[in-house]
Amino acid sequence: MALLSIRNVFKSYFLHGKRIDVLRAVSLDLEKGELVSLVGASGAGKSTFLHVLGTLDAPAAGEVFFEDRSVFSMNDAEIAEFRNRTIGFVFQSHYLLPEFTALENVAMPALIQRRERAGAYAYARELLERVGLGQRVDHRPGELSGGEAQRVALARALVLKPAILLADEPTGNLDPATGEGIHQLLRDVNRELGITAVVVTHNETLARSMPRRLRLAGGQVTEA
Amino acid sequence: MGLLGFILLGVAISGAGAWAEVSTALGLSLVGWGGLLQVIDGATLLPVQAAAGEAPPVLHLGFLLSGVLVWLGGWALIAHGIRRAPESTVGASPAAGATLYPRLARYRDFYWSTLGAYGGGILLAELVLVLLQTVLSSGVPSTELGAARDAGGGLTLPPTGAFAISLVAAAMVAFVSGFIGASRAQRLALPEATIGVFYLGLPVPILLTLMERIPSLQLQLGYRLREVTYVAGLLGRPELAYWLTFTGLVLALVLGINTGFIAAGSGRVDLKLGFELFVARRHVAVFRPSLLLGTLAVLMFGIIPPLLVYFIIRAAEAAVERTRIRSLGLSDPLASSEALHRLKLREQSPTMMMTALSVGGVGVGVMALIIVLSVMSGFEADLQKKILGTNAHAVVSRYAGDLPEYAKVMETIRKVPGIAGQTPFIINQVMIASEGNVDGVIIKGIDPATVGEVTDLPQNILGGGSLDILYTPEKILSRAMPEEDDAPAKGGAEDSGDDIIRRAGKPTKPAVLPGIVIGRELAASLRVVVGDRVNVVSPLGTELGPTGPIPKSRAFRVAAVFYSGMYEYDSKFVYILLKEAQDFFNIQGATGIELKVFDIDDARRIAGQVVKALGGYPYRARDWGEMNKNLFSALRLEKLVMGIILSIIIVVAAGLIVATVIMLVLEKRKEISVLKALGVSDGGIVKIFLAEGLQIGVAGGLLGLFSGLAWCVFIEKVGIKLDPEVYYIPALPVRIEPLQTVLAVVIAVLVTYLASIYPALKASSVEPVEGLKAE
Repeated sequence: MALLSIRNVFKSYFLHGKRIDVLRAVSLDLEKGELVSLVGASGAGKSTFLHVLGTLDAPAAGEVFFEDRSVFSMNDAEIAEFRNRTIGFVFQSHYLLPEFTALENVAMPALIQRRERAGAYAYARELLERVGLGQRVDHRPGELSGGEAQRVALARALVLKPAILLADEPTGNLDPATGEGIHQLLRDVNRELGITAVVVTHNETLARSMPRRLRLAGGQVTEA
Repeated sequence: MGLLGFILLGVAISGAGAWAEVSTALGLSLVGWGGLLQVIDGATLLPVQAAAGEAPPVLHLGFLLSGVLVWLGGWALIAHGIRRAPESTVGASPAAGATLYPRLARYRDFYWSTLGAYGGGILLAELVLVLLQTVLSSGVPSTELGAARDAGGGLTLPPTGAFAISLVAAAMVAFVSGFIGASRAQRLALPEATIGVFYLGLPVPILLTLMERIPSLQLQLGYRLREVTYVAGLLGRPELAYWLTFTGLVLALVLGINTGFIAAGSGRVDLKLGFELFVARRHVAVFRPSLLLGTLAVLMFGIIPPLLVYFIIRAAEAAVERTRIRSLGLSDPLASSEALHRLKLREQSPTMMMTALSVGGVGVGVMALIIVLSVMSGFEADLQKKILGTNAHAVVSRYAGDLPEYAKVMETIRKVPGIAGQTPFIINQVMIASEGNVDGVIIKGIDPATVGEVTDLPQNILGGGSLDILYTPEKILSRAMPEEDDAPAKGGAEDSGDDIIRRAGKPTKPAVLPGIVIGRELAASLRVVVGDRVNVVSPLGTELGPTGPIPKSRAFRVAAVFYSGMYEYDSKFVYILLKEAQDFFNIQGATGIELKVFDIDDARRIAGQVVKALGGYPYRARDWGEMNKNLFSALRLEKLVMGIILSIIIVVAAGLIVATVIMLVLEKRKEISVLKALGVSDGGIVKIFLAEGLQIGVAGGLLGLFSGLAWCVFIEKVGIKLDPEVYYIPALPVRIEPLQTVLAVVIAVLVTYLASIYPALKASSVEPVEGLKAE
C-alpha cells in the first residue's frame, strides 16, 4: 500500500485568460520513507503539483489517496486537520509569521492542534536546537538571517512529525553553502524520522543525489 | 455559478418582498405570500380569512388572481435575471469523463431543512414571544369591559418584566434555530434565510400592524393579544414596537446563523477559541495600556487637550533621544546607526492607527449613548417622582358615578397585598378667584389624616406648615385687609422671612372660613398669601336660575401653600377637606380612592388585584402609567428614537471596524495562507478575524462605558445648572440605569461582531495558493 497515491489528476491554471493544463491525468505512488526530487522547467506546474499533493489546492478532477483514504472527499475541517498532522511544508521563502518569535512559529502547528503550550514549546525548543538555532528562540523572523529563517521554517514543518514533507525549492533564495546545510538537514530528517520527502528543485546536482527522481513536463510526471 | 444565482435570487427576493409590501399598501394585500398561501390551502386558512373578512377586496377573486399573477410574475422576473454561465465553445478538454473532484460533485445549493430551520425558527420565536408573554402576564385584568378574569394561579408578572423574559426566550429560539440551520448546512445559506424570514417571519408583524388598522381584525384578535398590544402601546406607536421587536428577532436569527456557520462551517462544531485569540491578539494589540489610556483621555477630555499633551511628550522624548544618539554617535557612529534603526522599529503601522480610531469610534458611540440616555432617564425619573409625589400610583373608582361606600371599599383594599397606603378623594374643576385674579383649577377634597400615605403633599407644604390646619379653620391666621396693612405690620415683622407665608399680626378677622391649600405658582398668579381669602366657583351649581344652573360660589381662606416642583401641579391644584368638598359638590362619599403601592412598576398588576378583590364591575382601577400614558409613552418613544439615532454613531464606528479588519486581511494575506497551510481550517481563520474585530468592539465598549459613567457621575456630582424658569428643575438630572447602560455596551459589541463577519469571511476565502504565490 502506497503512502500517498495520486490517481488521474487534472489541474489547470489560467494565464491571461488562457487555460494551461499543467497536470493531465497524472498518477503516481509515493512510498513511506522515500526521498524524491522533482524537477521541471519554470511554469511546468511543479508548485501546483506540490500544492495538490499537500491539499492546498484542489484538482479539477481525479483523486488523492492517503493510506487509501480519499483526501478530497473529506470536509474542510478534516482536510485542515490532515494538513496539520500529516503534511509539513517548506517553501522557497520562509513564510514565518512576523508577529511571533521563532519558538512560537515552530510550535504553531502544535498550537493549532490545541496541544498544551508548555509541551509544544519544549519540543519546539528541542527542534530549534537540533537545527542549530538554540540561541535564537526568542527572536522574531525579522531579526533572523535568510538561512536561519529557513531552518526555523523546516523545524516548524517537522514539529508534529508529519508523514510527508513537501519542500518547494527550499534553497532557492539561499547561497550555495547555506543551501547545502538545508539539504543536509532534509536528508537527515528523511533518514532519522522516516519521513517521506518531496523536494522541488532547480539544482540538478541535488536532484541527482536523491534516490528517486521525478520530472514534470507537458503535464506528465515521469521518472528520470 | 449556482451559488451566485441563488445569492442573486436572495437579493431579488427582497425585491419581491418590497412588491408585497407595496401591494399591501395598495389594498392588494397578501400578494407576496398570502396569494400563494391562499391558493395552495385556502381551505385551511379559513380562520385567517374570517379574521380579515372585513377587508373584502382581499378575498375578491379578481384581486386574488391578479395578486397571484403579480407574485408569479415577480419570480419569473427573478428567474429571468439570473446570470448563466456561457456555454463552452471549445471542444472537450482532455479531462472529459474523468471523475469530478468529489467535493464539487457533492455540492448542493439549497437545503429545505435549512429553510425549515430558519423560517420555522423565526416563526417559532414570534409565537414564543406572543404566547409566553400572554402566559406570563395573564392574570392581570386589564381595564376592558367585562368582569375581572380569574387569575387561576398562573404566573403574574408585571407586563414589562414578562415582555423582557419572553423577548429573551424568543431571541434564544431564533438564535438556536439559526445556529442549527447553519451548522447543518455548513454554510450561511442566505437564500434560505431570506425566504424563511420573508415568507414565515413577516406575517406575524404584518398581522399585528394590520390589527391596528382593521377594526374587524382587532375585534377578532385584540382581546387575545391584549398583553402584547399593551406593552407595545407603552411606546405610543405600537407598530414601531412590533417592527423593532421583529428586527431584533431577525438579528438574533442572523447572529445564530453566523455563529453556527463559524462554529460548524468547516465540518464540525468547534467552539474553542484559545489558539485563535492567541493569533488575534498578536495581530491587533488592542489591549495595550498606551492605546487604551490615549483613547480614554480623548473620550474624557475631547480631542485637542490630550493631543497637545501627547505632542509635548513626544517632542520632549524625541529631543532627549536624538541628543542621546548624537552623543553616542560622536564616540561610535555605528552604535548611533543601530539606535536609529531601533527608533524606526518603534514606529506604528497605519493599521495600528486605524485600530485606535475604531476603538475611539465605538467608545464615542457608547459614551454618547450612555450619557444621553442617562440624562433622559434622569428627566423621566424626575418627572415620575414629581407626578407620583402629587398623584397616586393607582386610583380606584366606579365606571360611573361616585363612591358613597368608600369606607367599606377601603376596608377591602387594605387586605390586598402590596398596598402601601390609600386615601379617599373628591376631584372637580372649579374657578378660583382672588381680589387680584381668576384662574381655572382642579380642586381636590382630601383626607389630611391619610393623604400622606399616598402623596407627598404634607411634605410639600412650604414654611413648615401642616395639613391638619384644615381641620381647625379658626386657627388660620387671616391677613389684615389691604387698607389696614400699614398699621399692624409690627406683629408680623419679626418672622416675615417669606413673602407668601407671612403670618399676619392681626388675629382679629371675625369670619371663620374653611381652609384651602394652593400651589406656589397659583398663589403667585392670584397674588395671595396664607390667610388671604379666595372664592371658589363651581359652574355646576345645583340650583336652577332663569338662565340655567346658577354657578355655586364659596369663600375659602388660604391655609397653606405647597410646592411640588412640577409647574402644572403648582399652578393647577388646590386642596380642601373631603367633607367640605362633599358639601360643596353635593357628593356622597368620594370620587374614588387613591392607592400607593410598594413597587411602582407593579402598580398595574396590583390595581388588577384590587379590582378582583372588589369583585370587578362596577369598580375599576387605573394605574399611574395608564393615567399618564401619553406623557410617559412620549418620553419612552423619545428615548427610543434617541437611542436609535445615537446607535448610528456606533454603526458608523462599525464601518470603521469593517475598514480596519479589511485592511488587516489585505495586510495578512500571506499569513492567512501560511496558517491554512499549517492546518488552520476556514472556520479558524474566520474566528481569528472575528476575534480581532470583537477585540476592538469590546475595548471600545468598555472605554465608552467607563467614560460615559465617569461623565454621568461628573454631571451628577458637579452638576450642570439649568435655567429654572425654563426647566423648573435646578440642574441637569442624571439617572444611571444599569440595564440600559449594559445594553449600550452589548449593542456595541453585537454591532462590531456583525461588522467583522464580512471581513472575516473574506479572510477565510483567501486561497492558500494565492497568498503563497504573491512574493
